[in-house]
Amino acid sequence: MAPPPPPPQWVLDLNSTPPAQSRFSLPDPPGYTPQTALQSKSSKSKSQPQTVSRKPPTPEETATLKLKKAWEIALAPAKQLPMNAIGMYMTGNSLQIFSIMMVFMLFKGPVQAVLGINQTFARFETEGKKEEMLWVKLAFVGCNMLALALGIWKVNGMGLLPTTRSDWLAWETERVPLERAYFRPS
Amino acid sequence: MLLPIYAAVILLLRPALAVFADEAWTVDYHHALLGLPKQSTTFFHRPDPSSRASLIYTLSEQGVVGAVNPRDGGVVWRHLLNSSRDATQSSFLRAGDAQDAIVSGLGGQVTAFSAADGRVDWQHDVPDALVDLEILELEDGRGTPGAKDTLCMSAGQHPTVQRLDGATGVVKWEHKIESGDTPYQVSASTTEVFAILLHKTVLGYIKIKVITLDPVTGRKTDEYTLSSENELATAETILAVGANSASPIIAWTDSAYKTLRINVIGKKAIVDFPINTLGGRPPQRVTLHAPYLTTSLAHFLVHYQSLDSDWAEVYHIDVKTGRVEKAYDLPKIEGRSSFSTSTNGANVYFTRVTKDQVFTVASTSHGILGRWNVDSPTSSLTDGTARPVHAVSEVSVKGESVSAVRSAVLLSSGEWLLLRNGSPQWTRPEILAGTVSAAFALPSEVSDLVNELQEEAHSNPVSAYVHRVTRHIGDIQKLPSLLTALPQRFVHGFLGTGSDGSDTFGFNNIIVSATSDGHLVAVDAGRPSDILWSSAAVILSSGQVWKVRVESAAPGIVRVIDDISPMPTFFNASTGAAIGDDEVASDSAVPNTAVEVDFTLKDGQLYGTTASQSGHNDLWQFGLQKGETILSLTPRPVNDPVASIGKVLGDRKVLYKYLNPNLALLATTYAGQSRVSIYVLNTVSGAILYSNSHRNIDLAAPIAATLSENWFAYSYTAESTSTAPKGHQLVVGELFESLTSNDRGLLDAATNVSSLASSTQPLTLTQTYHIPESISKMSVTQTRQGITSRQLLAVLAESNAIVGIPRGVIDPRRPVNREPTKDEQAEGLFRYTPVIDFDPKWYLNHRREVLGVKDVITSPAILESTSLVYAYGLDVFGTRLNPSFNFDMLGKDFNKFQMLATVAALAVATFVVAPLVQRKQINQRWQFT
Repeated sequence: MAPPPPPPQWVLDLNSTPPAQSRFSLPDPPGYTPQTALQSKSSKSKSQPQTVSRKPPTPEETATLKLKKAWEIALAPAKQLPMNAIGMYMTGNSLQIFSIMMVFMLFKGPVQAVLGINQTFARFETEGKKEEMLWVKLAFVGCNMLALALGIWKVNGMGLLPTTRSDWLAWETERVPLERAYFRPS
Repeated sequence: MLLPIYAAVILLLRPALAVFADEAWTVDYHHALLGLPKQSTTFFHRPDPSSRASLIYTLSEQGVVGAVNPRDGGVVWRHLLNSSRDATQSSFLRAGDAQDAIVSGLGGQVTAFSAADGRVDWQHDVPDALVDLEILELEDGRGTPGAKDTLCMSAGQHPTVQRLDGATGVVKWEHKIESGDTPYQVSASTTEVFAILLHKTVLGYIKIKVITLDPVTGRKTDEYTLSSENELATAETILAVGANSASPIIAWTDSAYKTLRINVIGKKAIVDFPINTLGGRPPQRVTLHAPYLTTSLAHFLVHYQSLDSDWAEVYHIDVKTGRVEKAYDLPKIEGRSSFSTSTNGANVYFTRVTKDQVFTVASTSHGILGRWNVDSPTSSLTDGTARPVHAVSEVSVKGESVSAVRSAVLLSSGEWLLLRNGSPQWTRPEILAGTVSAAFALPSEVSDLVNELQEEAHSNPVSAYVHRVTRHIGDIQKLPSLLTALPQRFVHGFLGTGSDGSDTFGFNNIIVSATSDGHLVAVDAGRPSDILWSSAAVILSSGQVWKVRVESAAPGIVRVIDDISPMPTFFNASTGAAIGDDEVASDSAVPNTAVEVDFTLKDGQLYGTTASQSGHNDLWQFGLQKGETILSLTPRPVNDPVASIGKVLGDRKVLYKYLNPNLALLATTYAGQSRVSIYVLNTVSGAILYSNSHRNIDLAAPIAATLSENWFAYSYTAESTSTAPKGHQLVVGELFESLTSNDRGLLDAATNVSSLASSTQPLTLTQTYHIPESISKMSVTQTRQGITSRQLLAVLAESNAIVGIPRGVIDPRRPVNREPTKDEQAEGLFRYTPVIDFDPKWYLNHRREVLGVKDVITSPAILESTSLVYAYGLDVFGTRLNPSFNFDMLGKDFNKFQMLATVAALAVATFVVAPLVQRKQINQRWQFT
């Protein structure tokens, strides 16, 4: 079998980036580090001292970090709440396609989030932090419930909740009279 | 994406509540009726002497004078002369020869109309009841050319004969009859005016007295009494006094119809003719037909009617000598026939209409000038159900023979039929003008199904199943005809051309009407142009008026309650067949456990009775005060479904309605006081739930009232006071369990209630509105389940109209003296305004003039949105109402073609585009760019 032909010129060009060259003869401004230089520095010149100085984070540290991150995610719906509330307030209580769609989204979001709670927090799960994670999840559920409550408040404002007497009027029956009078013209 | 939705929403919102232009002449129907024409007041007349076109003029038994075009049967003009319909009133209608004037007399009023357009020329009131009216055909110096003078005779304390100017109606002279004799008739020859009086002898017989008057001055010139022996016991056997003929006559018979006695007025001689019965039964009725023109020959026809046959004799009068002689006989024909007189120049023609033939003879000889067969397969005349009662004819003569004859024949079925040379041209259902009561009934197909379903519901499951399977097998037999009719039905539905006969929406209810002359007439609301069936339900003596009430007893069956038979009679609404009492399925499909209480008006008192083993026990009696009399009683309709027991307020709370089926509205007045009291009663206990009293009321104006659901309405006319002008007012009241929301009152959630045990009082809200016109009758629309909002139907007698006032406009809860709050606005309430103007869009009759409506009845259709309305009295008017719009039916403006075209276009586009898209998708996967 013949040796493979030498790779074409464009493959070579592609693989070997040309050395970083200032297109101008002017020096770079102070503090500026060209990207290529940064790459080469981190990989070559600076890699040595860093690897020496920075230890890989301990599992505890990672866990704490993950927990912090998880808390952040858990509280995110609560942060959206004021904005949602303003949005809901602005759309008014009339039954229109926009407000109906917004209310639908408002309901869909928390429900979906709560249903997918395990996937959301799966990457933050660590051994030993199970208990804290439970609190995080509870907080997440609570925040979503708040969003849901906002939706319910909105739906109630729109008059879609059967909370008043008139909503149950159809189940109330007319009183049956025990006597019946008929007019007999003489 | 939202645009189509908005567009659809906009399309769904209809702008206004009204009769839509495309529905105006299709959903409603109207018979502009005149009433039953009378023989003596019906004739052909040319309004324009220069033209040959003539109209039929009549003054009907219902007091309507009008002109009918003989070509198509359309009403040219009409006037309701007297709204109080009194059968005893005699009425007169005369037209001068070759004149554009018609003079009518009814009650105490003489009115002259322009014959062509019905404009009133003048009116004259005689002091008392009118006895006779004639046109003076006399041409003298004082007669205004063009308008001939009128002679009228009035009865009363001081009977008078008056001559009225033909152009102005001013009295030219007056002759008072002081002899104390009863005035009978007035007649005129070419030179003299005769007043015929009836003189009562000591023995109680009647003698005929003739006073001759000078036509110019009105002075008495002569007086004589005819020696009628002791033959005339009553005035009824006087046949006729020929008026305005060349030689007026008086004819009378003895009460046994043995001899006919004739006197030519002005001559003292009496000629006797023995009545020849032609070997049959003696006549029961003898009538005399003579021409009404001074220029025609002095010939007349005597028509004899026996029980089963008719014959006639023609007599000639020699004007100079006054000799009367019999000219010829017209043969006896079995069955009823009618005679009519027509003139052409001096010639006189007699037209005889039998059930299958029309023939015309000249008065001079018995030779038949024209004979036509009545060729009509559908006419009730030929199929034997109806017979001719009377006829008027017009002949057109060519040379020696009669070329054409038009006869307007009144049939015993109450239809007015025009025969042109024996072929029917049009019929007018004039009998409906005398309707006194009417009811809706289901057609037989629907009622049969209802009965079968009821049977299935009441039998045990196995037999019900067997019944249903056999019913379905029976239905399969109808499948081929259904399939063959399907394409046509589809085409009809698609193009919107006419109905296919099926009645899926329940619009084709049958309306059974009872008329004052004892007939029952049925009209199909789906095909209102012709009468479904007509039958004489009772035989009434002359002048008697049938007091009757028709109501729906069971599906397809009507109950007739009258003052003649003690028990109600039942009729099949589709065929008119009488049904026995036992065949009528019990109306109450649901077992009725309620205690039955009857309430009735007897001798001006209102009683409530309960039936027990020991007969009827009085439960209560309405305590009228001294001098208080009952004006009207309006019970809540027996079948009055209500969808919701409460009113939902704007804040979604509930205001509970006081729903009691045992409600009635009673209106009373006080003798000598212009005061009206209104009571809402609980008809079980007799308790007064609401009462109000209005003073200063015009009692001559109608007081209309209605009661439905939990609200009532009544209207009256208030007399002017120092602070307020005279005005018409409408009061609307609504009864609630409690005026606090979410409160069901004292009984709260009790499932049943006894009016006798508990005495809960409703709370009533009322509101008064000024209306522009008085309402003569009120009614409320009815729908199947009561979901649809209601309309108050009000008959406006003065403008001959019916308005449907939406319930929301007259809501008593409209806020007074303030703008409505947001919640009230959400409820649809708007600020109270004291005056309601009838919106032109509320008029159900739109451009039509609905004359003389006495009552309006309503019935639900199968569709919830629709209520059927039928108004009767004189005119007959029916329509369909959608108080909350057509929410369950596509309107006529729905473009079926466009919809189908869109679907087809989309289908085609899908088929065309699908391969293209597929190819493109495949290419996308395989091709690199």
